[in-house]
This record gives sequence, C-alpha cells and structure tokens, in this order.
Amino acid sequence: MNPTHDCGRRIEALSDYLDSGTSPDAEHIDYCPQCQAQLAGLRSLSAAALLMMDDDVASATADDTGWLDGIMANLRLESRAGRTIPLRGGELDELSETEGAVIALVRTVGDSLGGVLIGRCQLEGDVSVPGEPVEVKINVSARYGHPLPELAQTLRDAVFAELLVETELNVTAVHVAFTDIRPPVIGNGSGESGKGRS
Amino acid sequence: MLAHKFSSPVAHTRPANPERHTSVKQLQDLPHKLADAPDAVLAERAGDGDVAAFEMLARRHAPLMRAYARRLVNSHAEADDVVQDALIAAWKDIAHLQDGTAAKAWLMRIVSRRAVDTGRRRKSHDNLDDQPEAEAILPTPEQAAVAGSARLALNTALSRLPEEQRRCWVLKELGGQSYEEIAQALGISAASVRGRLARARTTLMKEMEEWR
Repeated sequence: MNPTHDCGRRIEALSDYLDSGTSPDAEHIDYCPQCQAQLAGLRSLSAAALLMMDDDVASATADDTGWLDGIMANLRLESRAGRTIPLRGGELDELSETEGAVIALVRTVGDSLGGVLIGRCQLEGDVSVPGEPVEVKINVSARYGHPLPELAQTLRDAVFAELLVETELNVTAVHVAFTDIRPPVIGNGSGESGKGRS
Repeated sequence: MLAHKFSSPVAHTRPANPERHTSVKQLQDLPHKLADAPDAVLAERAGDGDVAAFEMLARRHAPLMRAYARRLVNSHAEADDVVQDALIAAWKDIAHLQDGTAAKAWLMRIVSRRAVDTGRRRKSHDNLDDQPEAEAILPTPEQAAVAGSARLALNTALSRLPEEQRRCWVLKELGGQSYEEIAQALGISAASVRGRLARARTTLMKEMEEWR
C-alpha cells in the first residue's frame, strides 16, 4: 500500500508541511484539492489526538487516588552534597559542611522574605580553601507588587548576615537576579504580604 | 526583621540548628510559593537539591507522564513503574537540565526512553505466548454514549495498528518527540520513523473517516 494520491504527493511531505509551515512544494499543496483534503485529515487527526490525551490524563488522575503519593514515597531522593567546605575545628577535629547545605540555607533565608522565591543559587569561588573570596549568585522569582531594588537589598543583607553566622565563607558579594515575576496572589490566602520575618 | 537578629547580643553565637530560623509563617508560605512557581524556577531549585521543588514539579506533570506511559506500555502497572523510574532518573539528572522552561518536554523524553526500554526488556524475557494484549483503554459507558466522537474512533483505530507504528505515532503525536529522538529511542533510522509515521497516519485518517 503506497500512501500516494493522484497528484503524487506523499503523506510524509504533507506532514512535514504541517509541522514546519513551509515546503518547497507549497505552491502546489496550497492549491491542490487532494492535498488540502489530506491536510484537513491530518489536522483533525492531531486535534483528536489532543482530545484523547486530555481524556487519558483525566483518567490517569482519577484512577486510584493516592497513586502519586505512593510513587513520591518510593522515590527516596538522595540529597545533593556538592563540594565540601572546611570549618575551623580543634586540632583533632575535621569539621566541614557541604555546599548543598549552604545553598539550602540561602534558599531558606530568601524564601522567608515576602514575595521572594529563590531559584538557582551558586557559590562562585574556591569554597574548599578557607578565606578564599566567594561570590553568591542567586536567581529570584519575585511576586509582582514588591519593589525590586528594595527587595534585592533586603535579600542581600539577609543572605550576608546568615552566611556570616552559619559559615566561615569569605563572602565578597551577593548577586541577585530577578529571573521571574509571578502574578499577584488573588485573595489573602498565602499570607505573603509581610516583609521579612517577625 | 532580619537585621535585628544581627544586632542582638546572641546573634553571633553559632546556632546548633539552622532550622530554628524557620518561622511558622514561612512554612505556611512556601507551599503556596512553590505551587505557583513556573517550571523553570522549580527545576533550578531541584537542580540545587531542593526535594520539595522537585516533588512539586513531579506532581504537576505526573498525570501526563502516566497517561503517556500507559499508551506506550502494555499494562497500567508497568506504566506506573515507568513513571517512577523516570522520576528517579529525572532527579539524578535535573541539575544538568539547561532550560528549565522545557522541563515538561524533558520529562516526557525520559518517559519515552524508559517506556521503550521496558517494552524491549519484556520482549527479550517473556515467552511470546505470555505476552498480554495491550491493556485496551476501553471506553467508559459515558464515552460510549457519545460514540462516534473522533477521539473514540481514534482510540479504536489506534488499538488496531501494528505495535511498531503505534509506538512511533504515540511518541510523535502524544509525546512531541522529534524524528531523531524517536529513532534513537527505538533503535531504527529516522527514515524508518518517517515511513512508519506516514503509514500510521494514513491508516488512522482512513479509519476515522469511515467512522463518520
């Protein structure tokens, strides 16, 4: 069975045309009734596929509630340690903390500020050598309505302060990049209106 | 405010537990913030090791991953195994995901590969006689009531396709995979993918026309 038609155009070429919107053969396809009929068929096939997928997703969600909890419980996600950051200890001690723990700390500090959700956080510099300058780079998703310069300064101060207390890193700069603005919350359910912690 | 903590006399003592800073209010806020965070932000956090962000991302897309996996493997139980394996693989690899806005497509790619591998393993292990028929996604009474609908026609037509064509079509049309990705997953050439897809589409279109 050869999927050709009187005009000789193959279904592959028509599919490509549909996917890309261009074809070296566009002049023919655009005015050929057979090709147009085939294109219409391909379009309704795609539309039916989307509808079928919607049904599939609905039934995948509806069946045996709790399946997702089960899967999530089974994941047992291992934590990511990252680099090892030495800490001063006694002569016999070898104290250290992990980069992952420090980044988690930055997240916790930032997330606690109203309107701030921390994205990627990177420690740039050789954290494994005590005293080496380290710059902190933070991506932030901000809630619309918070003045950004003020928010950035509050976040910088908070991160500086926290790292000074919790680590021995020589933090020379905290760079804040707002990479996303989230729409304002409708209603007051989230309680994000406050600035900082009480 | 945070600055207060710094000026207080106890501020400079090294705390035993950093978690003490976590206020009740913040704990209440974070799920809200994560819930409406875009995929890109969740993916960045997950890449940094934030389990909560990864779980939010996983929950957001798991129903789609499950529905898709069910079309690619032979049983619902197998599909759930595929989703679970895919999520474990995703967690391990998400730090290397360059474009977090494409997280959904990336997850679907992982499901594609896992599902195809599952089928391959089954084929090599099972006796041919033991192979179950694809667990037909049969219409519910409500769906049957609207018999004649395009999606039902498609569902039926799809179940009649040869498996190799059905897979190609599902990977392309439902999974949004490129020819190259499908070729790689199935271990065939991109030209074969094109041919199988064309045959699948021709048959499906014909059957759907007959239904009308």
